[in-house]
Amino acid sequence: MIRLEDVSLVFQGGSVALSNVSTQISEGEFVYLIGHSGSGKSSLLKLLYKEYSATKGSIEVVDMDVTSLPSWKIPLLRRKLGIVTQEPQLLENRTTFENISFALEVLGFDEKEIDEKTNTLIELVDLENSMYKFPNQLSGGEQTRACIARALASNPLLLLCDEPTGNLDPDLSIQIISLLEKINRAGTTVLMATHDSSIVNRRKKRVLQLSNGKLVSDVEKGRYI
Amino acid sequence: MKKFNYVMKNTFINMRRNPLLVIATMLAVLVSSFLVFTTLSARAIVENNTSRWQNGVHVVIFLDDRVTSTAHKQLQETLENYPEVRMVEYFTKSEAMDEFKILFKDQPELLQEVDFDILPTSLRINLNDPADYKLIIERMEGNAAVKEIRASGEAIERLLSLTNTLVLSASVFAGLIGFAAFILIINTLRLTAYAKKKEIKIMRTIGASSTYIRLPFIFEAIFESLIGTSIAVGLGWGFIQYSKTSFIADSIFDIAISDSYLINLTLILLFSTVLFGFFASFVGIRRALND
Repeated sequence: MIRLEDVSLVFQGGSVALSNVSTQISEGEFVYLIGHSGSGKSSLLKLLYKEYSATKGSIEVVDMDVTSLPSWKIPLLRRKLGIVTQEPQLLENRTTFENISFALEVLGFDEKEIDEKTNTLIELVDLENSMYKFPNQLSGGEQTRACIARALASNPLLLLCDEPTGNLDPDLSIQIISLLEKINRAGTTVLMATHDSSIVNRRKKRVLQLSNGKLVSDVEKGRYI
Repeated sequence: MKKFNYVMKNTFINMRRNPLLVIATMLAVLVSSFLVFTTLSARAIVENNTSRWQNGVHVVIFLDDRVTSTAHKQLQETLENYPEVRMVEYFTKSEAMDEFKILFKDQPELLQEVDFDILPTSLRINLNDPADYKLIIERMEGNAAVKEIRASGEAIERLLSLTNTLVLSASVFAGLIGFAAFILIINTLRLTAYAKKKEIKIMRTIGASSTYIRLPFIFEAIFESLIGTSIAVGLGWGFIQYSKTSFIADSIFDIAISDSYLINLTLILLFSTVLFGFFASFVGIRRALND
């Protein structure tokens, strides 16, 4: 599903975000990407959906060679991925339902499909009671769940989550993790960046640890020490 | 088709976002297109008229009555032998009188007072190339049978020169207004793109292609330009139709312009407008959407 070989990312000005990272993630896995702020977690995720381009090395995501991917093919890659960011990116003037259906509309589904699929996604993330609320009427957890639902609109093979629980309290964080595990059990590979040790230690999943842009550990059922 | 519906829906949503700017843009395009349409039509009308005049009499040689009619005949034969001359018509005093009566039929007082005997006989010359009128004038200078020479060429040249100056001035003005429209479109699109920054970011994340994101902006620019130009062309056609029955048509000008010319001009203007809108949108959103 994901293969990184000797990947480095150096920004203009010389600051090194990632240095010689190599790893592999198989289909159906749930992997935590941990590390302190500035360790390179977000940069690694951005390399995977080609928001950034690697300075060195090769990257393969969902059978696509991301390293040499021309810009016009980036949308094709992203349609196979679901991307959830730390700050919930919801359109303020649209309801939860409309925010989720927006993705389906953009992807070219017809009205009937949009209605059906949006309702299914709302049910999946348990937002039935908030589907007609606007983002400012939703709690942080509900906003994140709405973003996850939208990310799932294209039936992604891989869900990339960049600290989705970063702004949430522990209880809400657990709810989000449970939701992501449910999505993972349904067959979607999940790679989640976090620096929340309590979550990582409790869930006993594979853990990749970054430190100063280097992959310092890769442990099955790992812990965040 | 679903995507097309989405694009069209968003095009109109974008246009509703900055209504005043959109109206200003349409007005600027309208004025610019109207100027282009009317000045080009006016030039065609002037060219048609002058060409008609040029196909008629180019030089009139008024003959001296004191010279014998034999001398007049000799002069006519000389003129007819010039290769530049297509035809020479001898115009008698009585024909001159009939023409005078027709020309001044609205001024009975003048007709009553005038002594028709002073009207000279004349030779009316039609040239192969109207531009050769100067050559004829040169050759006739000093000829005893010639009283006076008048050529339509000078007036036509002056009229065409005036028309060209008008067309050039109007084109510069239309260009300036067109440029203002261009800037307005760019500003409108940038404002829209800024307002939709988050939406565009989400679309990118979802996997919408750049073209798909850009299309509503491109269509917006094209629609705004097309609406302006369509109204301008409509007004231009209306103005020409009105002119055909107005005082303008009763003056020296015959509003002679073919429908095919107007149709071609309309199509070229509309096509240019589409290109204009496309180019303006390209410039307007290039940077805004690359952020």
